[in-house]
Order: sequence, then structure tokens, then C-alpha cells
Amino acid sequence: MNIEAITESRSHSDISPEVLLSCSVIYALAVSLSDSIYALALASVIPLLLVITKKLNLSLLVKLNAFNLIMIITIALTWPDFNGGLTKGIVIALRVNMIYIFFAVMIYPLGYAKIFAAMNSLNIPEKLRVLFLLTLRGIFIMHERYSCALISLKLRAKNLHGLMKLRAFAYITCSVLLQSSERSERMLQAVQCRGGFSGFIQTGHKAMSPYDVIMCVCFAVYAIAIIILNYA
Amino acid sequence: MHNSEGVLSGTALIAGWAGSITCTAIGLKKTDTNKIVRTALISSAFFLASLVNIRIGPSSTHLSLLAPVGLILGWSAFPAMLIALFLQAILFHFGGLLVLGANTFIMGLPALIVYIIFGKMIRSENKIFSGVMAFIAGSLAIIMAACLAGVFLGISDRNFIEAAKLLFYAHIPLALIEGAVTSFMIMFLRKTAPEFLS
Repeated sequence: MNIEAITESRSHSDISPEVLLSCSVIYALAVSLSDSIYALALASVIPLLLVITKKLNLSLLVKLNAFNLIMIITIALTWPDFNGGLTKGIVIALRVNMIYIFFAVMIYPLGYAKIFAAMNSLNIPEKLRVLFLLTLRGIFIMHERYSCALISLKLRAKNLHGLMKLRAFAYITCSVLLQSSERSERMLQAVQCRGGFSGFIQTGHKAMSPYDVIMCVCFAVYAIAIIILNYA
Repeated sequence: MHNSEGVLSGTALIAGWAGSITCTAIGLKKTDTNKIVRTALISSAFFLASLVNIRIGPSSTHLSLLAPVGLILGWSAFPAMLIALFLQAILFHFGGLLVLGANTFIMGLPALIVYIIFGKMIRSENKIFSGVMAFIAGSLAIIMAACLAGVFLGISDRNFIEAAKLLFYAHIPLALIEGAVTSFMIMFLRKTAPEFLS
């Protein structure tokens, strides 16, 4: 975890992560509620601008749309009327792309530190924030051990099949869990020595900048316009 | 079982968030501070299990460990899953942020139900009985999760019901695999670390 990133001072040109997170969720909600072509056309303006101005990971977009293609075919074949299902599938695929592009530019590059800071500002319960930090730490610890164990399994038994393979996966998962558990007990003792979880999180709340307020107002208006157009 | 962004209607999204916020609040209240590290570890294991692909014939699937999470954590399974699914959405773009509530409810409720039904049974003195119960718990959790995913799709649009049925049938092989993995995991934990199941 990059602690410096949590405590770094924010420049005026930056939008705070909690505002980005809130605006993204508002946008996603407005898009999810839209069925009309006009509302979706209006909602697609920002993702299109983002695609033109920002660099996007196109391989992920291709994978997403390969999945979307399967989804469209499934919906079309299971819908009472094929054309209706095809339209519904295409509308959903459009929504998925718009929300994905928006999140890919606004939220995913934020990193853990800023997301954690956003959780702080949004008054998420302390237990949940501690759980977030410890889970992240647990993933880093366990991932290393898990990868080693899986490589070891591949080297020792290349042709494992059926129940033996499932048993190997189950035992590896449990072994890694138990090894990490011993370490976690020491982590817990260290936290208790420092005075417990109260005060475990020390990042302060930052006031909203004028840029944050402008961003919030713009997105609220944009979302309302999409919803009005949808029901008009 | 992850519902993707843009699929669920407003009603389904609200229902998912209402259910998961309520259950997570209860889960957080019931989570002892001393057990929070263990909860985080199980949450990490749940996250990592989704990265391991298991080949089934020409296709492949990944483990979800719903039943082991429920059987070990009980009510704390809800906050653990919320965090794991949030990280999956942020890091791997599985599911999404708006559908996080529905996805947490879809995965958390079966984990909680198997804990309530099978929690005591898997601690039985009889090893075979315990293993069989763990198998049933593992399979049932996946089947319940598939049904719940179908319910959420049905709430969004009644015409999704046929697609939901297809989703249910596709999860039957995974239910058998999860049942076997849950059974092996519970047998292993009974032998080596029974305190995990206490």
C-alpha cells in the first residue's frame, strides 16, 4: 500500500476520489435506468469523449464485447420474440460499454490509496475500512504462496484429473489459509500492541474544492437530463 | 454468477442494495474485532479462488467457495464478500460497482443459509456424515446463488426467465465441483485446524 499517496496534498486541478466515485455511480445509475435510444445517445456523449481523449485498454474492451456478443445471442434466443430479444441485448451491451468506459477512465486508475481515502470521506464504517485494508494485505500475502503452491502442483503432478485435482486445490487453499492465519495472528497482536483498531485509520477528511462542487453539479444535471429524456 | 453493469433494472438494484446493506450491517455488528483478521483472510481466499481456473472438458470454470466462506464465517460472510467483490470489480472488472449490492446478496445469502443449516452438522463426530453434509452444503450454495441470480434477472424483466433457467442449468456442473471442494476443505480443516470451524 502506498501510504504517501493517501497523505499527499491534493492540487487544485485534481478532483477528489469520493466525488469521482459518487459521480460515476450517479452516471451508471442513470444509464442503467435508460431504455430509450435518445437517452442512451445523450448518455454516450461522455464515454465517446473519453474514448477520443484518453487512452483505453482496448484488449479489455474487446474481451468485454466478446462476452457481450454471447449475452446478446443468449437473450435473443431465450426472449419470447427474437427481434425484441436482439434489441434488448444490444441496449444492454451499449449500457455495459458506456459504464465500463466511464469506470475505466474515472475509477479503475485511482489505485487502492485513493479508493481507501474515498471510503474514509464517504463515512464507510471503520470495521469495513479495516477489513478492506487487511483483505488487500491478505491478498498480497496469499497470492504469492498460492502461486508457488500451484506451480509446485503442476511440476509434481502434471496429469491430475477428476477428484484428485479438486482435492489438491482444496488442500492448497486450506494450507495457504492456515499458513497465512499464523501470520495474521501476529498481525493482530501487533495491532493490539499499538492500541487496537480504534485509530487504526488516521487519514483526515478533506473539504470539497470548487472543482468538486462544479463536477457534482454538472453530473447531477447530466444524469437528470438522461432520466428525463428516457421517460419523455 | 456476477451480474454485469447495465443488466439489472432500478428495482432489482435497489432490492440488492437494501438486502446487502442490511445483512452487512448485521454481519459487521456480529464480527468480533479479534476475528476481523481471520475474516479478512477468508475474504482474500474467496478473492483468490476466483482466479484459479479448473478445466471441465473443453470449457473451464473457477471456484467460488461460497459454502466454505459461510461455514467458517457465519454472518461475517456478508462483509467479507462485499469487500472481495468490490476488489474484484475494481481490479478485474468482474461485476461492477452499481451491481455490487445485488452480487453481494446473491453470494452472501446462500453462504449464510448453509451456515445456518449445516453449521452444526459439519462439526459432527462422524467424519463421513460431516463430509457428506459439506458436499451438500457446497452444492446447495451454488444452486441457491444461481437461483437468486435468476430471481434478480426476473425482477428486472420477466422475459429474462428463460435466460435465467439456462444460467441455472449451466451452474449444475459447478455445483458438483464446489460440493467436492467444500467437502475436502472441511475434512482438511477438521483434521488440521478445528478451531477454524468453531
